Parts: sequence; C-alpha cells; structure tokens
Amino acid sequence: MALVTTEFWRQGDFVAAAAGMPDLPRHQLPHPVAGTGKDAMATLADRIADDLIRTIRQSAPA
Amino acid sequence: MSELLTAENEAAALEWLHANRCTDGLPVVIPTPARVERLILASGLDGALSLGAMGPGGGDVTVEAIAANAVMAGCIPDHMPVVIAAVQAILDPAFDLGEMQGTTHCTAPLVIVNGPARASAGVVGGFGALGPGHRANAAIGRALRLAMINIGMARPGESDMALLGHPGKFTYCLAEAEEASPWAPLHTDWGYAADASAVTVVGAEPPHSVIFVNDADDPDSPERLLATIAAVLANLGSNNVHFRGGAQTVILNPEHAEVLAEADLDRRDVRQRLAELAVAPAATIRALNPAFAPTSDTPVPAVRDPDDLVVLVAGGTGLYSVVMPSWAAGAHTNPVVHAPIQLDQACELPTAR
Repeated sequence: MALVTTEFWRQGDFVAAAAGMPDLPRHQLPHPVAGTGKDAMATLADRIADDLIRTIRQSAPA
Repeated sequence: MSELLTAENEAAALEWLHANRCTDGLPVVIPTPARVERLILASGLDGALSLGAMGPGGGDVTVEAIAANAVMAGCIPDHMPVVIAAVQAILDPAFDLGEMQGTTHCTAPLVIVNGPARASAGVVGGFGALGPGHRANAAIGRALRLAMINIGMARPGESDMALLGHPGKFTYCLAEAEEASPWAPLHTDWGYAADASAVTVVGAEPPHSVIFVNDADDPDSPERLLATIAAVLANLGSNNVHFRGGAQTVILNPEHAEVLAEADLDRRDVRQRLAELAVAPAATIRALNPAFAPTSDTPVPAVRDPDDLVVLVAGGTGLYSVVMPSWAAGAHTNPVVHAPIQLDQACELPTAR
C-alpha cells in the first residue's frame, strides 16, 4: 500500500507501471501532507484510516 | 532494432518529436537511419549491444538508441566515445539514476572529461566551459540528457519531478583544464593512467559561485581561500548539510588552484582540509530546519568523507571558482561514478556528410 499525494499521483502511475506493478494498491492523499502540522495530520489520518484498512484487506492475497 | 517512424519531411518529423515529448524543448537533428548508423559506426560497437536498463522507465540502452539521441543532440562521430562512456557511467547502479531522475531536487549529471579524448572530441575546460559556445561540451551533455529523456523516460511532472530543474539539465559537460592545473588529472584519483581517457560523472546542482581575491603577501591566503570554499560547501540550505553526505564538486579556476599548490597542497590535501572546514553549527540547523535537526551539538560535516569531494581545475583565470552541492540522497547517497573512454575501438569518420 502506497500513500501518494495528488501532486505525485501521475509519478505513482509511472513508477508502478515501470516496476511492473500497475495494480499496486495506492491511496490518494491531498497535497501537501508534510509540514501541515500535527493536528492536520491527525485529522487526515482519522479521515482515511477506515479506507486504508479496507483497501489493504481487499488487496491481501486470499 | 528500433521502430522506424516516417514523416512527410524533416520539419514534420521535428514537430512529431516535440509533440511526443522526445526533445528537451529545443530543435533537434532528425535521427534518420543514415545519421544514426553513422554514429553507431563511429562508436565501434554493435548497434544492438545493450548496456543495460535506464531508470526510471527501464528502457533498453542499446548503442543504437544512444546513437539516435546523440544525433538529435547534434553530436558528430568524434563525440561518440565520450557519450558512450558517460552513459556507461550513469548506468552504474551506485548512481541511482532512476531515483535521481525522479527526485524533486535540482540535480543533473555533470560530465567531466579527462585525457586525450578531450582533444579528439573537442571538449574544452577553459573560459566559459559550462556556458554556451562550445560544440562538444554542448552536444555531449545534451546527448546524455536526451538519452535520459527518451530511454530513461524522464518527463517533467510525470517521472522527472524536479520542482524547478536547472539549466544544467539541458547539458552539463566540460573537460578538466589539465594543462592549467598544478596537479595530476582528476581521473588519476580513480586509478586511471594520466594518458588514458575517462569520464567522471557526479550528480550536481548548478554552480554556486565562490569569490576570492588572493593576497600573495598574506601567508594565510591559501587557508582563507579554503575557508571561503568550505563556507559554500556547508551552506545552510544544502542537502549535503541536512543529509550529511553525498559527493560535492569544487571547480577551482587555475589561479585559485595555483594559490593552493604554491602552499604545497596537493589535491588530496585540499580535499582533506575542505572536509575539515566544511561544517555547519548543529544549533543553527536545529533553529532553521528542525525537521533535519541533528541529535548532538557536534558541528555537522557537509562532507562525510574527503573522497566524496570532486576537486578539479577548469575555467578561465580570475576571482571565481565554483561549488556544486548535490542531491545527497538515494540508496547510495549520490556518489561519484566514472568510466573509461574507449578511443581504440572508435572508428574515424569524415565529419561532413
């Protein structure tokens, strides 16, 4: 699972394809995350946590 | 072999290359089969020979593909041995080219040419060596960049994430001014014979100017010169200070090199002393950029190992030398790489056709 911000989403597409893993699970985050402060990061983490867990479960091998 | 594209004429071919992001934004020479074949022949190598895969896209680095990009860059046959060596150098896994192409930092491979290949290819190291007006410097560096675009598939905003880039990403190539240097040529530091030819490649930011006026009456003048250069090496915005590593390049103009040589300092002495002097106060880093704060109060070295410093002599004589900090990241923290230039396998071809 890769967490990728909007500004780097296209690069994520490129790198995943170049590495032969175009279906690598990724979750899109707003940009920026770094430097936004602990409160903003905690709010973001709370907001996306359920989605992340769901995506990880869906991508896990059966 | 590569796919052959067709176009109505060369103007249409150029528009296609621009539209498909195969250029650096400037016009290129159209890589017709005859032109590409000519540079393959000049290389003395089989066009189908693969030198490896180039990141970040993982394209196959065949001699033919290198030749096609060299044609586009304006190279002539005499440039090919240097272009091939430069490509071989950046394919060294230690160079982390794929990661370097994708970084948000402003870094580009600086190609330094030593030995007889300087004359055979026409690469210069004197006045304005990193500026416009020198055909071989411009074309060889540009060939490497176009190969990184078209074989490595580095495209701005997609796979080359440099926030701003820098002008050396068009071309960044020079020769060491060996005849103006008081020391043995740079490539002898890597074990090459002085009469052999080699490229040294280091990921480098644009040049940061260092002004220094020598005072022959002042016995401390050489130490003041070194301290001035060290201050730029340890500038408080540099990755090398915050990441505490990575190669850095120091290009001494011949006058500054002579100041140091007259103080009985050789290149190794210079690297050692610069590494000692190029430190940043831990408290200042902590105050300015706490995300990279050191854990102790020990002064932070901008040069982890004196061997990480590439010190060469080039440019005209005068008051200015330059420092080029580096990205200092990647799995190998941006080391120096090098490769021999094989002149004995290259074919001499008439230049006009």
